[in-house]
Amino acid sequence: MKGSPKVITLLIYGLSMAIGIIALLYPFLFPAVIEGIPMGMARMGEMPLMLTLLLGLGLLVLLYEAQGQAINTKLIALLGVLVAINAALRFIEVAIPGPGGFSPIFFLIILTGYIYGSKFGFLMGSLTMFVSALVTGGVGPWLPSQMFAAGWAGMSAPLCRPIVIGLNLEDRRGEVVLLAIFGIGWGFMYGLIMNLWSWPFIVGPAEQYWTPGAGFAETLRRYMAYYALTSLGWDILRAIGNALLILGFGIPTLRAFRRFQSRFDFDYQPNPAKQINPELNT
Amino acid sequence: MKVALHTWAWISWLAAALIVLSTTRNPIYITLTLSCIAVVMFSLSTRPESTPPPINPLKFGLIVVSLSALFNAAISHFGDTVLLYMPENLPVIGGPITLEAFVYGVINGLVLTGIFWAFTVLNQALPTRQLIRLIPRAFYPLAVVTSIAITFIPTTIRQQKQIREAQMIRGNQMRGIGDWIPLIIPLLVGGLERAIQLAEAMTARGFASTSTQVDDSRQRIFMIVGLIVLLAGWLLRLNPNLALPGTLLLISGILLIAAMLYSIGRQTPRTTYSRQIWTISDTLVLSGSLIVLLVFLLPLPWFDRTTLAYPVYPVISPPLVDPTIGFAILGLLFPAVIIFRKSL
Repeated sequence: MKGSPKVITLLIYGLSMAIGIIALLYPFLFPAVIEGIPMGMARMGEMPLMLTLLLGLGLLVLLYEAQGQAINTKLIALLGVLVAINAALRFIEVAIPGPGGFSPIFFLIILTGYIYGSKFGFLMGSLTMFVSALVTGGVGPWLPSQMFAAGWAGMSAPLCRPIVIGLNLEDRRGEVVLLAIFGIGWGFMYGLIMNLWSWPFIVGPAEQYWTPGAGFAETLRRYMAYYALTSLGWDILRAIGNALLILGFGIPTLRAFRRFQSRFDFDYQPNPAKQINPELNT
Repeated sequence: MKVALHTWAWISWLAAALIVLSTTRNPIYITLTLSCIAVVMFSLSTRPESTPPPINPLKFGLIVVSLSALFNAAISHFGDTVLLYMPENLPVIGGPITLEAFVYGVINGLVLTGIFWAFTVLNQALPTRQLIRLIPRAFYPLAVVTSIAITFIPTTIRQQKQIREAQMIRGNQMRGIGDWIPLIIPLLVGGLERAIQLAEAMTARGFASTSTQVDDSRQRIFMIVGLIVLLAGWLLRLNPNLALPGTLLLISGILLIAAMLYSIGRQTPRTTYSRQIWTISDTLVLSGSLIVLLVFLLPLPWFDRTTLAYPVYPVISPPLVDPTIGFAILGLLFPAVIIFRKSL
């Protein structure tokens, strides 16, 4: 990808992330946007598709930008194989469901994002969801939200690095404990994000649920009531699962990733055709 | 006999089903649509190569409809037909529980179920390789990653079984989480080793040996504009008074982003080993979908579009039906008719 000034990259990242966040948070923005104007019931029906469209487009642009880094054989192969391992874990999870929302996939998404960087983490998260959806028959309008949420989990994992470096925790038990806490956070965050997709649809039209002018705090209170009733227990098990997997397998996995990071640390420069020695072809 | 409809025929069918489900709240039309989707789903399940979906569609529907109905009835206290009263001091759910809120929840649940069923049909109908083909050309590195991942999944599962058996022969009973380290780590390290071998093999075979990278700065700048226009259009559209300019901006944003991705994709060479053939069956499915799309999207004078809405509040009443619209929905049955006819 030639000519990629940082400002373009930052703008694309910022805008596509903003679209994803605003699309998911629209129920909270509604009272502010349409205060005093009742929403028609017919408009509610289009919302899931509208959300899918917006999230899908934001995700496409973000994926296009993130893949710019991956146009070399090493990263393509590494990403492909790691996504295969993670998708296989999800395949096993679909065949033999774990307790509640327990899912083994966040463990690898968080650790790869932490070691290989935010772009890699984002691609790992979103492609794990995409590939496993293809394999398990899970393609649907919920897929962009899943890809965004899992991608964000991987993308945000490097945020732990400054804390690890600041507290001098690298290669120590504390590093894994910090990542386990991060995994607990994403256990809940994933559920919170995925519920935002279905919540407005299940609860009914705006004038009933988001009382015009009710404000952000009131809407948040109602959402939290919905979340606590329908998903909290489910997400607690996901959070515990993430923590256990990271605490149990984190140290050897990080060691393996670091070792292979240095093994992958070489650069292949293709020879332009004109530089090929013509004598070699004779 | 194997029946394979063209990918785009299925996509048109899916689009038609989704448009119906997102434009009407009339329970009769929604139930008719669900019935059509269920028949198509059943026709696909009779194929010898079919595998059951990971989530039972009927169970999913029952759970979603019940959850939606109960939850809406509990929290939405609108409507005149009061079924019972919850104590006022209970947060959120305190107040009258009405039939209207319950029915509204049922309708929401049915629509959500319909969307899920329509995608279940797509997942059943299209093999994975056809879904991968839908990845736009601009995303060819990600398409390669996806292909590698899908190719490696069976290998990974096989390797996991082999390692597990080897560990169990050595006496590891795999009971506690700590016992799984000798399984997970070799699996991971083996995968990383395979990634290195694969990268070397790809390089040796000339992958990325010629510069397929394109100068896409201009397209990316236009994509930024597209994102801004898209966001502005959607925010304007949230206000019903600004719905028209919002819709126009939204469509402009979508077209701009799509055009830029198409333009980048055009610069990426791609070969196709086998092309799908468009048959008369595909044309029939497309025709059925187009009928549905025309009836539900265009304000044609022959159809009573007011029946698409179903105002539940303040007092519930029987839904009105235009038989011609109901007849148009039957266009969704075309894939089932073709599958049943060919399997005879």
